[in-house]
Amino acid sequence: MLIIFTVHNTAVAGGPFGPPQPVSKETGGLYTGIGYWYHEDIYKNGTEHLIRQNQVYSHVGYGAKNLWEIYARIGVSDLKIFDAYNSTNVLTTTDKNDFEENWKFFGTLGAKGFYALNRIFGVGAFIQGTYYLSNFTDDVAGISGSEPFTTDLQIKNLWDVNCGIGFQATAPYNIKLYAGPYIYYSEAQASLAVNIPGLEYTAGNVTIRNKTIAGGFAGVNIPLLKGFQMNIEGQYSERLSAGAVVTYSY
Amino acid sequence: MKFFLFLILVYTFLTMGCAHSLNSNSSTLSPSSSTSTPPAVVTDASNSGEVNLPPREKEIKSESKSSDDENFNEDEAAGEKAQIADPIEPLNRAMYHFNDKLYFWALKPVAQGYNMVVPEVARISVKNFFSNLRFPARFVSCLLQADFSGAATEFGRFTINTVWGIGGLLDPSSNKELDLQKQDTDLGQTLGVYGVGQGFYIVWPILGPSSPRDSVDVVGDYFLYPVSYINPWYVWLGVRGYEEVNDTSLRIGDYESLKDAAIDPYIALRDAYVQYRLKKVEQRRLKLTPSKPEEKSSLSDDSVLQKN
Repeated sequence: MLIIFTVHNTAVAGGPFGPPQPVSKETGGLYTGIGYWYHEDIYKNGTEHLIRQNQVYSHVGYGAKNLWEIYARIGVSDLKIFDAYNSTNVLTTTDKNDFEENWKFFGTLGAKGFYALNRIFGVGAFIQGTYYLSNFTDDVAGISGSEPFTTDLQIKNLWDVNCGIGFQATAPYNIKLYAGPYIYYSEAQASLAVNIPGLEYTAGNVTIRNKTIAGGFAGVNIPLLKGFQMNIEGQYSERLSAGAVVTYSY
Repeated sequence: MKFFLFLILVYTFLTMGCAHSLNSNSSTLSPSSSTSTPPAVVTDASNSGEVNLPPREKEIKSESKSSDDENFNEDEAAGEKAQIADPIEPLNRAMYHFNDKLYFWALKPVAQGYNMVVPEVARISVKNFFSNLRFPARFVSCLLQADFSGAATEFGRFTINTVWGIGGLLDPSSNKELDLQKQDTDLGQTLGVYGVGQGFYIVWPILGPSSPRDSVDVVGDYFLYPVSYINPWYVWLGVRGYEEVNDTSLRIGDYESLKDAAIDPYIALRDAYVQYRLKKVEQRRLKLTPSKPEEKSSLSDDSVLQKN
């Protein structure tokens, strides 16, 4: 894992980590949820680009004894890469600057462990990985030299892995406040169908990675009525990401 | 397929006026009398020994065991024996034999094999999934009965089970915390609530026991069930077949015990069917007209039966 994190620094994808303490009932059991996550980050491959994603997902987890939990998510996400088609060649112009593609499926797996220091405070650790099951593709047209062109850019095999430590405090009404540091790594392959002079991406796979490997997260988990809970979380590394999930514990 | 269902619908409405009997000691109803006054009922059992248990019959068997007791006095019901005209008994018996063979020769063996391979928890999840997909029929039935609280409950169930029940595979709505119970109603019951009689007894091939009134439910269910819109038709058939096998795998043995206990399973099933449907309609009526306890108790089964 350390080798991965020292290879190159950079990031995308992600998703909330949730409270360190398992959401499942203490006696053990399943919980499910639906969530939304707004993600922004900066990745680079020579040039830095801002990326933005909106994820909607379904979440299912299983845990027991307030000690451990495993979970999975499946959802859809869009992807926008700002200035992906900016040309460095004055003879090449494109009809748009940004790469945009709508809903593609992704899957996430995660696990966490928790240790209660006392009735109020606790500490936990987690690991979480996401993989996009489909490629993102966007067409771009323009003029290179005096020749018109049309090509498409593919973002393939987008994945990430995150791990971190969370510190939790339980407030009245069983509201859980938590925060902690995390490190992450993500990468994808970018591939332009045809080489166009002046465009950053070229034919063949170009690996793009997150710019920064570390960040911090904080959130609150609020019990609602009748077994429902709401988790709101924010993460900050290069940019702020945030989201909410409403879960139901069986 | 839709044309066929349309024909069934037309036929059903044309025959809706046929009534079933209220008296237990009546004799077999002749076909000619079935369209006039409340007819007598078939009580003579034939020697036919085999019974089919298609979906609806199995439903009768399993659900009659469960929680249908609210607002219904079973002792009173036991005193009365709801009956139904059976003017096409020879045809019904033939269909019943066909369904019986279909069950024992095809459905049951497949369901047993499926039962051995797939764990019960997974089969229950599949059942939950298809039950969740049947939300439109229950929702529309509640609306047609002006049961707005039932419609809201169904809508809530559908939303919660779809979102937090992983597409309906789980049923968190039925947990005691949420307590949003499935509204056990259909279009046939809706007609019953509005006073439409059952008519006479029909055994549909594959579908099983029914009546002209309840056949409306079959047609309505077809159009309100999202699975019906799957294309091509053979995929639809496969999905429906799988649903049936899954449901059967959860009820293997119920039909056999009913059949073993009956002298004439055809008669036993027919009686069970009509009483089951009657009870369902009565439950809906009582739910829709919340009244004082004395008013409830004054609703004798006789009056209920006559309405049906």
